[in-house]
Amino acid sequence: MMRLDHLPNQRPDERVILFLRRHWFAILAIVVAFTLLVSIPLILGWFFWGRVSVWLEHPVLGPLVVIIGSIYFLCVWLFAFLEFTDYYLDTWIITNERIINIEQQGLFNRTASELDLAAVQDATAEIRGLWQTLFTYGNVFVQTAGEKNRFHFKNINDPEQVKELITALVEDDKRRLSALGAGIRGKIKTVIK
Amino acid sequence: MFDLPNFSIPIYVFLFVYVAYMLFYVLYALFNIYHLIRYGVYGFGLYLIVTIFTGGTIILVSGSVFLLMEYNWTYPITLDEAVDYYNEDLFPAL
Repeated sequence: MMRLDHLPNQRPDERVILFLRRHWFAILAIVVAFTLLVSIPLILGWFFWGRVSVWLEHPVLGPLVVIIGSIYFLCVWLFAFLEFTDYYLDTWIITNERIINIEQQGLFNRTASELDLAAVQDATAEIRGLWQTLFTYGNVFVQTAGEKNRFHFKNINDPEQVKELITALVEDDKRRLSALGAGIRGKIKTVIK
Repeated sequence: MFDLPNFSIPIYVFLFVYVAYMLFYVLYALFNIYHLIRYGVYGFGLYLIVTIFTGGTIILVSGSVFLLMEYNWTYPITLDEAVDYYNEDLFPAL
């Protein structure tokens, strides 16, 4: 279990500035899909109740209908939970020294990356399309010096503000490192489990 | 011509399929819960999510078991009767 007050490889004086997940619109999509998948068979069952009740009373078809129904609703419940887990475990943590990106892809792939703020070259905010404009969510891309990899904050709330925050933190970190005389020492580390 | 032997199987064979699915479900659900607890951010929300999922599963499985208990699981499916299932009472459109 991860604790925000005790990050992996936490450095002295490092503190969490921002903890991000995808915008709640991602949750809404899961809820809508779940509601439709549950309500459509229930509405059909209610509408054709005369026929369904005959099936349920039948000694062979009855158990078959109940088992198929049970498997269906359990599948929908499990699918919704898996999708929620995927949403819940995708996180971005911005501290005063680095950016940590944790991405869950399905159940068996997980990528955790971290990037020193001093290695950040530029940050780009992107809002595309009607829904992202209406609900003020979108992407932030963080480009690093000398690296082709980009950190991608996917579908986060208020990307403009996050970009501004990252830019300000990068400037602060560079000033801090200059004062320490350490120079730019950032790099990307990626661990795939 | 030839005659088909009239064999019969009890309907509890459906339960084997159901139990096999439930094993898959439990395995997948436990693996998912493990992921949440292992990698999720510590807090009340995490426990709430696991509780809601477990509660929903218990309600669904209990409801199913409650409905399934009503049936006579030794009732045989015979080849002769299988033809009778396609009657107008069950499928009036046919």
